[in-house]
Amino acid sequence: MTPYSGPWTAAQAAHLLRRCTFGATYNDIQIAVQAGMSVTISNLLLANSTDEPLAYDPAEQIVAQGQTWVSAVYPQDVTANQQTEGARMKSLGAWIAKNLNQESLSLTEKMLFFWQNHFGVTTSGDARAMYHYLHLLRQNALGNVKQLVKDVSIDPCMLLFLNGSTNTVFSPNENYARELLELFTVGKGAQLAAGDYSTFTEQDVAAGAKIFTGYIVQGVRSSTQNQVTSQFMAPLHDNSSKVLSYHFNNQVVNAAGATEYANYIDIVFNQPDTATYICRKLYRYFVNCDITAWVEQHIITDMAQTFVANNFEITPVLVELFSSAHFYDISVRGAIIRSPLETLCAMLNTSSTTANFDLQTTYQIYLSMYGLADQMGQGYAAPPSVAGWTPYYQAPAFYRLWINSTYIKKRFDVANVLTSNSFNVNGNIFKIQVLNLLNGLSQPASAPQVIEDLCLVLFPKDIPASDKLAIKAILTGGLPDFEWTLQYNEYLADPSNPTFYTPVELRMQAVLNVMFKMPQFHVC
Amino acid sequence: MKRRSFLRNGALASLSLPFVQNGLSMQAVAKKLFEVPKSAEDKVLVLIRMNGGNDGLNMVFPRDQYAEMLVQRANILVPETEILPLTLEVGLHPKMTGMQTLFNEGKLSVIQNVGYPEPNRSHFRSMDIWTTGALDINQTSGWLGRYFDSAYPNFPDDYPNVDYPDPFAISMGSEVSTTCQGLMGNFSHAVSDPFNSSNLLLTSVANDGTYYGGQIEYISTLINQTNEYGQQISSAASAGNSLSNLYDPQNPLAVQLKYVAQMISGGLQTKVYILNVNGFDTHDAQVDQNDFKEGVHANLLKRISDAVRAFQHDLQLLGLEQRVAGLTFSEFGRQIASNGSLGTDHGDAAPVLLFGACVSSGIVGANPQIPNQINNQAGLPMAIDFRDIYASILKDWFEVDQQVIQGLFEQNITYYDMLQGCTNGSSESAATQLHKPLVFPNPSLGQHQLKFTSINEFVEIYLIDQSGKILQKSFEGQLNAGQQLLTFEIQFLQTGLYHYLLKSASRQELVSFQKL
Repeated sequence: MTPYSGPWTAAQAAHLLRRCTFGATYNDIQIAVQAGMSVTISNLLLANSTDEPLAYDPAEQIVAQGQTWVSAVYPQDVTANQQTEGARMKSLGAWIAKNLNQESLSLTEKMLFFWQNHFGVTTSGDARAMYHYLHLLRQNALGNVKQLVKDVSIDPCMLLFLNGSTNTVFSPNENYARELLELFTVGKGAQLAAGDYSTFTEQDVAAGAKIFTGYIVQGVRSSTQNQVTSQFMAPLHDNSSKVLSYHFNNQVVNAAGATEYANYIDIVFNQPDTATYICRKLYRYFVNCDITAWVEQHIITDMAQTFVANNFEITPVLVELFSSAHFYDISVRGAIIRSPLETLCAMLNTSSTTANFDLQTTYQIYLSMYGLADQMGQGYAAPPSVAGWTPYYQAPAFYRLWINSTYIKKRFDVANVLTSNSFNVNGNIFKIQVLNLLNGLSQPASAPQVIEDLCLVLFPKDIPASDKLAIKAILTGGLPDFEWTLQYNEYLADPSNPTFYTPVELRMQAVLNVMFKMPQFHVC
Repeated sequence: MKRRSFLRNGALASLSLPFVQNGLSMQAVAKKLFEVPKSAEDKVLVLIRMNGGNDGLNMVFPRDQYAEMLVQRANILVPETEILPLTLEVGLHPKMTGMQTLFNEGKLSVIQNVGYPEPNRSHFRSMDIWTTGALDINQTSGWLGRYFDSAYPNFPDDYPNVDYPDPFAISMGSEVSTTCQGLMGNFSHAVSDPFNSSNLLLTSVANDGTYYGGQIEYISTLINQTNEYGQQISSAASAGNSLSNLYDPQNPLAVQLKYVAQMISGGLQTKVYILNVNGFDTHDAQVDQNDFKEGVHANLLKRISDAVRAFQHDLQLLGLEQRVAGLTFSEFGRQIASNGSLGTDHGDAAPVLLFGACVSSGIVGANPQIPNQINNQAGLPMAIDFRDIYASILKDWFEVDQQVIQGLFEQNITYYDMLQGCTNGSSESAATQLHKPLVFPNPSLGQHQLKFTSINEFVEIYLIDQSGKILQKSFEGQLNAGQQLLTFEIQFLQTGLYHYLLKSASRQELVSFQKL
């Protein structure tokens, strides 16, 4: 891949951060400009650390408020058991939104969601299992993909989701074996004959099902077990030799008990299709949905080569991609439509707006964030299918599926709520910290510069000068620029005085409200 | 699931409790208070914002004090003989011949010395005060937004609907108006050209053939398609008429007012139109140094005067005069004394103009007093509170119940006869004072205040629901004589109508409020 050797300015730095995080501030962009491309990419590889989700809802009946429930039993009573699960799922949903909103400048959350979309797992009826599954993805988000696929294969959540937990020698279940090939590794190609999909056949699905037999799940919402666990039960395992199809050179997978599945996954990863398939998905996630012949030949092939050469470590692939000339090519700038979570977080994270109230209020607000993204089409813990969200794979529309007449209205509703004082939880107003945003810009007292900086932070490309003037007129309330300067300086001289900060805040809210509703904000 | 309840509950949709409401009694009581009378349904209010701080003394002249004016602003003062007389004491800027005509036809009212206590000379803060209709820094809803919230609950979730297919308010331009900011949404819809139904966008970026251009075009198209009012507005504008030949196509306000006339005559049910004229921040070169009746300010006044005259003429020809009234306002007036750069600096009170066939009277309030000696930077003190003008318009024009109006404003309202020129003798005496207890804001969301006067006695306040059940005792205690202001949290209440019962040895009074 041709490395990028052009100028490193705010435009390139902002592009990198927009694609790799859920929202960067003006200051983040300036730091990235100073640090240069490679240092910025290295910094993005540092993990985003998180705490564990905490009990906050009164329906939780085991753990005290403020304590984590991820390793706690459930009540024995059926009703209490269900109520506690409801409380824990709410806590988990809030915690997911909180992590996205409070991320450090790291690739972790973006890659974590890549895997959540990749495996398409929906919650399994035990919040602890879902938490530990997401934790597994997080731990491996930037790590070894072959190992991740092995771990996911026997994770309780996945075993419950794709029927692995009932896949036995007595009644094989093909669900997981099929999706492993079709969606997680080699991918499904053109149908060559009945049951032959170019990359695998029905024979491989049947063989795979036998290979994965024997794992059961224990402890779902148990009142005695503090974890959901998966366990290999030898008597349930199919000990025959499994013969794969001609696509796999008719290799034989011999019975090997609890680790047999890992041997099989090694074989699957030896197929060149696996690297290519995963790299195409990465490309669509980070660069552009249109994989042209040129992209296939010059970008995907190189990515796959790097992937294989590094024994399926993902980081070298990402570093090469984010350092490439193609990634910064103006032709792919602004090519992606922001997902609902990216849209919501771009509204909040660009101003470092977080919810910092008492535990209950904070979690309620983050749960609302989770719900708002859900209403816009992206409920994090419940992908629409095992294939993930359609905008990442459904040709030819791809990202455009994030926006339809209902969803665009929801996006505008969210913009209205976050740029006003109407989001009231327990008497606390949650709104974008517009003063924070303003004060972090290069020259907050200069109305034209404020608009210039906001365009850099919020839009992928420069917009026409006439548009900037129209936005500026909203900031200045139609007055000459110097009146904004005076007003801002008055506020600066007495920043805690509402008489001075409120007018500034209201003008900024009006500006953001309009910018969030411009089409340019919804692409990145 | 509605956003309103979603946000309030702050819970996953499936986990929120269904809310059962006692529909019948709620409706019965609420109807009396909040229903919009039939006769008020087709009334239209036009607001013209003179942005930047209008120099009222260069618009409405106290003719009886020309000598004092000459002392304070000799370098900008219009020659005495050029001033257009309205009465013996009051005159208009020479460029405002249109307004003079309206005055002579009984269609213009000049309200003198309008402002508010403890004036703030920041454009931004003062404009916020004028648009929210409140001095309270925490008030972020607009005065019309609060009225709309009370009359049309569940906005924006339940709108548009069959009964209300049109936007409640239209703000001409690209920004919605703060005057119409409600609790959960802004009631105004920004329109730059009513004949173009796709007018939600600030701009349209042409598809330049790049991936970016394609996505922008796609999103723009969808945004325009979802403009649920766009079609209503453009078909009304197309169906509408304009009959006056007085509109000057070079005058942007005239062009916009012509649009408004077309939308009204085309049957749009929009109740409020907000227009904006920039450029009133005349710190320097307010007048032409060679001819003080000419210059920047003169041109702005001419633009407004000509446009309103044409609009009023049009309404007369269209037979719509009795349905439309208009008000000009600015964030403040300017100082009495001019500065050295042929301009004026930020001041305080100023006159506002109320126009329409139904105005009650010509001049409201006495001329400002221009002393020979003034303090540095003196502005005109206010005589009439602008919030009382808003309240009076709501009462006269939209026929809002006075108890409801009082709930929209923080001051004890003094009503003025404003727009009773078309009604038959129902005029009430001016300056009607309300001494009943009041809840502010009403309708309310998280918390509100109960305001009342008490004598020195022991008072109990009960919170009562619509069925008459006492929910709690909200207050009890010995009060001193005087104005009382109690803050109550009502976050915990479900949506509906409630009452406070004030009980003491001397009285027993009920005051109602709506929880949103």
